[in-house]
Amino acid sequence: MSVLEYLANGLVFSSIIVLASIGLSLVYSIADFANFAHGDTMTVGAYSALVTFGFVGGLGARFLGLPLGFFLALAVGIAVAALVAVITEKVIYEPLEVDSIGMLITSIGVAFVYRALIQFQFGSDFTEFGIQVLRPIEALIPFGIRMTLHDVAIIGSAAILVAGLHTLLQYTDLGRKMRATADNPSLARVSGIRVDRITLWTWVIGAGLAGAGGVFLGLYNQISPRMGFNILLVVFAAVILGGIGSVYGAMLGGFLIGMINQLTPILTDIGIPIGIEYANGIAFVIMVAVLLVRPNGIAGGTGAGT
Amino acid sequence: MSADTAADAEEGFLAGLTRAEQGVLAFVAALLAALGIGLVTGGLGPTYVLYLIGLVGMYVLLSFGLNAQWGYTGLINFSVAAFFGLGAYGTAILTADNSPIAGGLSPVLGLFVGLALAALLAVIIGIPTLRLRADYLAIASLGLAEVVRLIVLNEREYTNGSAGLRGIPGFFEGWPLLSTFPQAMPGLRIEIVPGSPIVLQQPFYQALLNVGLVFVFVGVTFLLLRRVHRSPWGRVLRTIRGDEDLAEALGKNTYAFKMQSFVLGSVIMALAGVFYAHLNLFVSPGDFEPINTFYVWIAVILGGSGSNRGAMFGGFVVIAIREGTRFLNGIDFIAFDIGPLRLLAVGLIIILVMRFRPEGVLPPQRELIWPSALDEADVPGPEEAQRPHATEGGDAS
Repeated sequence: MSVLEYLANGLVFSSIIVLASIGLSLVYSIADFANFAHGDTMTVGAYSALVTFGFVGGLGARFLGLPLGFFLALAVGIAVAALVAVITEKVIYEPLEVDSIGMLITSIGVAFVYRALIQFQFGSDFTEFGIQVLRPIEALIPFGIRMTLHDVAIIGSAAILVAGLHTLLQYTDLGRKMRATADNPSLARVSGIRVDRITLWTWVIGAGLAGAGGVFLGLYNQISPRMGFNILLVVFAAVILGGIGSVYGAMLGGFLIGMINQLTPILTDIGIPIGIEYANGIAFVIMVAVLLVRPNGIAGGTGAGT
Repeated sequence: MSADTAADAEEGFLAGLTRAEQGVLAFVAALLAALGIGLVTGGLGPTYVLYLIGLVGMYVLLSFGLNAQWGYTGLINFSVAAFFGLGAYGTAILTADNSPIAGGLSPVLGLFVGLALAALLAVIIGIPTLRLRADYLAIASLGLAEVVRLIVLNEREYTNGSAGLRGIPGFFEGWPLLSTFPQAMPGLRIEIVPGSPIVLQQPFYQALLNVGLVFVFVGVTFLLLRRVHRSPWGRVLRTIRGDEDLAEALGKNTYAFKMQSFVLGSVIMALAGVFYAHLNLFVSPGDFEPINTFYVWIAVILGGSGSNRGAMFGGFVVIAIREGTRFLNGIDFIAFDIGPLRLLAVGLIIILVMRFRPEGVLPPQRELIWPSALDEADVPGPEEAQRPHATEGGDAS
């Protein structure tokens, strides 16, 4: 495979990681804990979309090789992930009287409950959306890139969602309040911002993006109850690399980690015997190495904030 | 194990127990009674009962190890499975029949190699992460544990890959007297309930040896931890957990103390791994799965972070979940797979404990205090003034 093709794969995978890491970072900055249930929130999104797609199937015309029903399923996946996260916040996280470490540990319990319930319903095997596999785009093959329209759809959708979030954060009232709350919750509260409501919106946005990431991960790979947990550590690596709590850092970190992940085979090509099976391992090692030299991550400590 | 707890308390101790302590005692007693009934009615083989007790001992050891890190110092280590697995693989690689490297060497040598590997990994993980804020350690340790699992899974020429290592000898292989003990003992047939005799044969005595071994491991670790926890060193760790800046301001090198605590706990986890390898006689990359880490976390937070008695209780509960769900699978009318059920139980316990009793069922109370200091404090009057001295006073060095 050519380097260009690795890069193209990296771009697709990065899109998924970016969607997941933004949500993780948002929740980290506002709810102030490392949410280990974030990966399983992605799984929730993927399975919700799977069920919806089962009903609406080949509905409508095709767009980017995907039936319109898929985009409906995507919307449902986003909505269900957000709903589940909000219910979890209300029922479990909000009444807790523990520190951020206690929240972290609780979120592991939440992750297990999500995954157990999904396994009860769907079993532990792999499954997929059942969308016809496409042939690579003809125009790109001369460049050595084998990329399908589905991949383009993933990149495009992720770009739209990221741009939307950027607009929300920078140009809307809600976005300003979210940034203020992330910066300093107490100050935000005394300034008259209803912090509880902002926290809820953060969960909606963060989990919704995670749900989208889960749906795309299911389209890119396969769907299984462990899919979210398996990718969680890579997402954490991206968030830490970018600087915990910084949304734009998470975008950058997600992009880099996704790229590095898919570029791993190059190591074998140039004679270093570290295969694709170590792709995730490399992400963690990079994360730890970055922590050594720059404990706040790439974008951390610059005041860029959320 | 209940004997241990009981011996630890004072004479006529029932009256002096808190309600939680009485409840825990009742739970453990009921569990042991259930095992006993299963035993005499022939529902459970005596060898299997001993195996379960061995597993409880193993989880108690793992919880002790995590307690030394999380309970004492507040380090969130999510790589318990990696240290456990390294202990198990360390000894297995030297002693197993199909080991690609050595094989056939003495388990005692394996013990030391397993512990050394764990200490080494602890330093490697600790160097970059122990300086950082606490949640980084959680994420980084989980990630690095995954790296260790990937290496064990993929480096077949050293670890045998996914096939695992078989033919590990018992721990007492090659020891005078003990290595031949199971063969030398006579087969017994005890009939308490008519019609369901208990037959004691060679595997039973082998299992008896294993239980004895884990009792020794647990006992030695318990005494060691109790001693160090009450020492000036342990007091510094508790200060770090409570307020790291304060410890720093008092002139303590908190990084060094955290590292010592991290290595100590990791070596204890590896000790559990060594025991497991010689109990199970087979190790595989599955021993490195993150779920194993979270079982140990449950044992510790349920029991009470920092409490060694809590760790023992947690060990019982984890085995009750792990092996109890296995029994459910044998019951015909439960059609579903028990894997999710176990996961659900694990998740719910974590959430419920954090919600309703974040300090755990048996939080460390008097464990932290020298008994003599407590006696003085029991004198009416100066009680309030004495206790803080007993817990926090004294210069640590």
